[in-house]
Amino acid sequence: MKRVNGSAGPVPPVRAEQDVVTERRPRAVLVLGAVSGTVLVLALGGEAVAGHDAVAIVAPPWSRPAPGLPLGADALGRDVLARVLAGGRDLTLTSLAAALTASALGVAGGLWVGWSRGRLGRAAAGAADLLLALPLLLLALLAVVALPGPAAVVAGTVLGGTPLTLRVVADATAAARHAGYVEAALSRGERGGAVLLREVLPAHAGLVGADLGQRLVLAVQLAAALNVLGFGPAPPAPDWAAMLRENLQGLGLNAAATIAPAAALAILAGSVAALSHSLATRDGLS
Amino acid sequence: MPWPARALARTVLLMAAASVVIFLCTAALPGDAADVLGGGRAAPGELARLRAEQGLDRPLHARYLDWVTGVLTGDPGVSLITGRPIGELVAQRAGVTITLAVAALAVSVPVTAALAWAAARGPRWLRHPANAAVVAGAALPQAVVAAALVAWLSAAWGLFPPVSMLPAGEPAWSRPDLLVLPVLTLALPIAAYGAALLRGAIADVVARPYVRDAELRGLPPATIALRYVLPMIAAPATRLFAVTLGGLVAGTAVAETLFGLAGLGELLVTAISTRDVPVVQSVALLAAAVVVAGLAAADAPRRRRETARP
Repeated sequence: MKRVNGSAGPVPPVRAEQDVVTERRPRAVLVLGAVSGTVLVLALGGEAVAGHDAVAIVAPPWSRPAPGLPLGADALGRDVLARVLAGGRDLTLTSLAAALTASALGVAGGLWVGWSRGRLGRAAAGAADLLLALPLLLLALLAVVALPGPAAVVAGTVLGGTPLTLRVVADATAAARHAGYVEAALSRGERGGAVLLREVLPAHAGLVGADLGQRLVLAVQLAAALNVLGFGPAPPAPDWAAMLRENLQGLGLNAAATIAPAAALAILAGSVAALSHSLATRDGLS
Repeated sequence: MPWPARALARTVLLMAAASVVIFLCTAALPGDAADVLGGGRAAPGELARLRAEQGLDRPLHARYLDWVTGVLTGDPGVSLITGRPIGELVAQRAGVTITLAVAALAVSVPVTAALAWAAARGPRWLRHPANAAVVAGAALPQAVVAAALVAWLSAAWGLFPPVSMLPAGEPAWSRPDLLVLPVLTLALPIAAYGAALLRGAIADVVARPYVRDAELRGLPPATIALRYVLPMIAAPATRLFAVTLGGLVAGTAVAETLFGLAGLGELLVTAISTRDVPVVQSVALLAAAVVVAGLAAADAPRRRRETARP
């Protein structure tokens, strides 16, 4: 977010004690990192610990939880627990691929734009701003016209997320251009590219990590939206977001069939967002 | 160039760019409209005839110009699937989406303000919970919010019907009880996202000396908020409002699909899954037009202030 420029003369720097948001909390980063890591591992490898086949019909539709069926059955009588354990893998893999692509492109572009500050760089930043004017879900839905669902999630995240990353990284790089450690490296005779990779990028690891987390949250939201709308894995393959749509009407019969996948999505997105936020606040960025 | 001309030029440029993006995305489709019309099983000769009939054998730029001319003269074409004019389809669905979007904005604006204020400037005990609510609320996928609202307000408390089959031909606002859950589904993530963006701007403004002065003079917090802070965050807030409004045209898709409402978002999704390209192009362009118009409107007051005070 741009700073708001007013008419009140020079703005004094915000001091840390005025704002709880900028408290340093390194332990929160470790705890949230462990939580996010566990959630990701469970989402990716959950299928291995599932007792039942995720697509086999094992009980009457929307059976309540019972021994052997801890979360009951879904709209077609399939084991909800098995489907929840197996239903996060594709969505998580797609989101990870989308976030990493968007972040890598944005970081590379941002380093270049912020360092060179040439006309081409400004044009790239302008084009990136243009993309921000189009709603993200709209971009992803347009991409779905021509591409399969997972590719559309990647395309949507790149189109909607890369410009944001690029802008943040470009600002940070431009600010670091004349920092002491950069000047020192340059005067040692190091090349620009080497300084960017070995000095500037590590100095902004927290920024890049927090930004990657935000892209991952964005990608999960996009993937969930597209899968709810029916552009995800084809049925009967299990998928958290598709489960929400399949089972919403049976909420009164077996609430676990809706609440379990909703909770899984919420924990995945929430833990990554919290980790990203704590990374940003640790580095005083938020 | 004076600002009205510059703003107009920018708006036209943005719209042109958006229309090119939309056209290229949809024209890149591997199977084209002729495949859809031929039901996927048409003979090559039949396909060629259908392509010629639809003008699909002509070069890309000619088809783009045709489309843009059609849209500008008020004739965006007909649906490939139903054969009905697109203008009619859009007009029929717009009521539901406009009702949802206006209601969602009406709910989200005060919630955004309250959340952003609580997170940036609220009582100390409230700041951490408010920040957590902002971070979590902005992160949740819309479908999760919908599921949670249905589970809580509909299944557990029995307040609202869970899936709202709106009787055909009835305007959406005639059944407000059916709209509460979809409107909240749209409004709550928007409010959290908006608060996440405005929180920083508010924290910036309240750290300025004149706000401190006003506090020391003993002005009530509401006066400080309205007279000293609000004008300073007006520009980012209007920009956010514009983008949100445009996002809602496509963003209602999830809520409309989950709650069974026939609006523009649902029309877009149906058109995409049936490869009804003309409908996709028109609805997408409409969404882009709302964003671009909103951005231009959000820029106008700021530009005027800048030119008034050199």
